[in-house]
Amino acid sequence: METRALRKNSIALTGLAIVGVYVAAILLSFVWLPFDPVAMDTEHLLEGPSLATGHLFGTDEFGRDILSRIMKGASVSLVISLSATALGAVAGVLMGIWAGYLGGRWDQVLMRVADVLFSFPSLLLAIFVMAILGEKTYNVVFAIGIVYIPQFARVSRGAVLTIKSSEFVRAARSNGASSGFILFRHLLPNILVPLIVQVSLSLSVAILLESSLSFLGLGVQPPYPSWGNMLSAGRKVMVIAPWTAVYPGLAIVFLVLGFNLLGDGLRDILDPRLKNAR
Amino acid sequence: MSDDDIILKVTGLKTEFRAEYGLVKAVDGISFDLRRGETLGLVGESGSGKSVTNLSILRLVPSPPGKTVDGKVLFHAAGEGERDLLAVSEEEVRVLRGRNISMIFQDPLTSLNPVLRVSLQIGEALRLHHGLSRREARAKAIELLRLIGIPDPERRADEYPHQFSGGMRQRVMIAMALSCDPDILIADEPTTALDVTIQAQILDLIKSLAAKKRTAVIMITHDLGVVAGMCETVCVMYAGRIVERAQVDDLFYDPKHPYTRGLLDSIPRADRTGSDGRLYSIPGSPPSLVGMPDACPFHPRCARAMDICRKAYPPETLLEGRAPRRVSCWLHAKEGPKP
Repeated sequence: METRALRKNSIALTGLAIVGVYVAAILLSFVWLPFDPVAMDTEHLLEGPSLATGHLFGTDEFGRDILSRIMKGASVSLVISLSATALGAVAGVLMGIWAGYLGGRWDQVLMRVADVLFSFPSLLLAIFVMAILGEKTYNVVFAIGIVYIPQFARVSRGAVLTIKSSEFVRAARSNGASSGFILFRHLLPNILVPLIVQVSLSLSVAILLESSLSFLGLGVQPPYPSWGNMLSAGRKVMVIAPWTAVYPGLAIVFLVLGFNLLGDGLRDILDPRLKNAR
Repeated sequence: MSDDDIILKVTGLKTEFRAEYGLVKAVDGISFDLRRGETLGLVGESGSGKSVTNLSILRLVPSPPGKTVDGKVLFHAAGEGERDLLAVSEEEVRVLRGRNISMIFQDPLTSLNPVLRVSLQIGEALRLHHGLSRREARAKAIELLRLIGIPDPERRADEYPHQFSGGMRQRVMIAMALSCDPDILIADEPTTALDVTIQAQILDLIKSLAAKKRTAVIMITHDLGVVAGMCETVCVMYAGRIVERAQVDDLFYDPKHPYTRGLLDSIPRADRTGSDGRLYSIPGSPPSLVGMPDACPFHPRCARAMDICRKAYPPETLLEGRAPRRVSCWLHAKEGPKP
């Protein structure tokens, strides 16, 4: 039923197709890459895109193939954003549904903590966490995950608040269900829709955050490729070799666009209140 | 009947809600007994405290703002000692809910979780209280669906609530409530949201299933027709108190409290209308439950109100008759200041 709605929704479909291209490229990168993404080649420094040399997107200032680096960087970016979103979602949802369901002081404390975290711009907070944890690739996951915890906590708390006074929750309580049982068996399945949408939108922001951190030199460290540090390296030679910055930039733009379209489309499909608006 | 038969004894139950505009005494000193296998009707207008009484029994009153401030709810399960549900731990009450005392709610459309399969919800209490596995619970759920007359239960068990009609959903609620063979079933206006034709089926179902297991039933309703058809004993509630308690026949043929009489006169009947051809209704509206004075709360609407009614709440008077009955009205009071 939902797959049919997905097929009819061109926005979600476009998003899915874009994300699909990236996933295919990543899968391909595990078995085959045009060139070694970290091998320097002094014969071919800063060469423009050309079919003849095989460097479709050109080479950077060390002669490394841009396309190979983008493909390699895609898996880094995607893995980081997926695990960071998963971390933020699990921790945030647990916090949010407990706070929303229990209410009272627990709710107040958690939500004020969330407010404090919210008051920092995401990037600043991520930089702050990276500064504490150190510049390691896996620390990027924690940094972005921590940025996401309050966001997921808020979304799930709000969703729980609207349904926790439902008749079926009362019915479950009168049936002898404990709070934990009600939370995980009754409330969680009911708030999955806003959460799925939030996840897909968070993935795109996570890509941006990861790129930003790497761009600033806090994320993935050279020589390992990430779109962010490629962009940062390309910036210096952009005037004479624009392809070094343009292609990683486009890679970011399209993946973020893909996740956003997917998120918007999913919201349209899954939110019954928007059904008639279409 | 001996006192051993009393399964639930509620005494002096008081539940209040703290609202912005003051303290609402939703239930203000309710006492009643329920015997094994008995069907007790609780009638009254909206806001008279019927539902809050029963939520208080199971400690399900949302708190804050609600709080049960006084009273005892003595529950006497078969083969077990008597215990006060208001005094035991939350965990002890939780275990009783659904196993010994279960509830059916008014609106079957919202009382089922829309995203869970019906079999899962029916089997929930069995899994919680008797530790059945998922598969055993599903088998039991199918059995219960057959019992409540749902055709093709194997297939329907795996469907979602929105695939059931309102009447069928209420049947599912009944199956849920009776899955653990409770001692007491509290039915909170179980037929209000249903068609008249379905109402009779649902009531028959509750009646026959309860009779089979000698389940005591508390039937909350504002429909006196339901009371006449279902209950043996009736408590009439007004403004958070029980104003009259009697056997159902006594109440219908000879109502003692002016409010009960008014309720009975308000039943639409084909053969009788008021002098102007309109339906009778009790003049005025129920009182606000905030800051009620110590007086009979019904006196502003009562045609037979006396001075004393404005000054003090009438004591409960035991009236002798075919069966003993109780009424709280100065018209019948034996002691205290005479009018």
